[in-house]
Amino acid sequence: MQNKLISIGRAAQLLGVSIDTLRRWDLAGRLQSTRSTPRGHRYYLQSDIEQYLQDVDTIARRWAEASQAIEPKPDVYCQTRDVFQGRLEQFQSRLSRITPLTTVSLVTAVAGEIGNNSYDHNLGNWPDIPGIFFSYNIRTRKAVLADRGIGILTTLKRVRPELASAQEALKVAFTETISGRFPEARGNGLKFVKSIIIDNPFTLYFQTGNAYLYLKQYDRDVIVQRAKTSIRGCFATIGFEGLL
Amino acid sequence: MIIQMKKFGIILVSRPSGKEAWLAFQPVLNEISQDEEIIVDFDDVVVLTPSWADEFLTPLYKRFKDRVKLQNTNNPSVSATLAILAKQ
Repeated sequence: MQNKLISIGRAAQLLGVSIDTLRRWDLAGRLQSTRSTPRGHRYYLQSDIEQYLQDVDTIARRWAEASQAIEPKPDVYCQTRDVFQGRLEQFQSRLSRITPLTTVSLVTAVAGEIGNNSYDHNLGNWPDIPGIFFSYNIRTRKAVLADRGIGILTTLKRVRPELASAQEALKVAFTETISGRFPEARGNGLKFVKSIIIDNPFTLYFQTGNAYLYLKQYDRDVIVQRAKTSIRGCFATIGFEGLL
Repeated sequence: MIIQMKKFGIILVSRPSGKEAWLAFQPVLNEISQDEEIIVDFDDVVVLTPSWADEFLTPLYKRFKDRVKLQNTNNPSVSATLAILAKQ
């Protein structure tokens, strides 16, 4: 049942896009079809369509949490910063079709800051898979970023050895100007992210280790909670549903 | 002199690219006369983050202090970034 083949027309219908779009996605490797012969009709595996329909954040979370390290699919995997920059520009360009530049600039800045943080803090130290998972769904107004890095507690412990839990570390990261890359003077990134989220119709879920926070417009306090499952690196979902 | 930020790109987000911009721009900065103003123009910049700005604007301020003036800072990511850097 899982590997049933479906026609391109049916796949387009299920995904809510045109057949031409599916052809383009196929060529670009974003969603690949199966053909009986090189020039034959395009068919799609039902499991591929189901996976595509799943929330981007479910797929990313599963990847970040998995005990076994597997490279993500190429369309969401940014092994290096250059790849991430390219995808971020693409994201910005797609966002600008649905919303004014003022909003585009803020959502892109938040995603850019979170994504680049992963590289800044894990360069040379990636435990298994280097780079980040970056995906978005314009239809559901959601962007997700995840890494299998060392996480915020390990990073901040270098400058604050007294930090005892992921909860404390996450709170510090979002509320104090502190850098895990001492002696460099830096550490504004997540404060910047917070300031944008609470001033705009956006939401942010951010998890590292077993600690998470959820921020939305008008929030003033950063409330860190304990998550049911643990992620060694970082996992973030940015919601811009307010733009629907 | 006027530094047109868009010449470094319109999506200015990562630290390495901010640092690279700062290093690449040194020869130009070295030619600035003693009391010349340095105008940083953000016209057409779509995205700026504190990471990028910290590698370029922070050292620029450190070196030229109040000779640095900013213009066209109305893009929201530019103004949010400047607000965060000002708190440092």
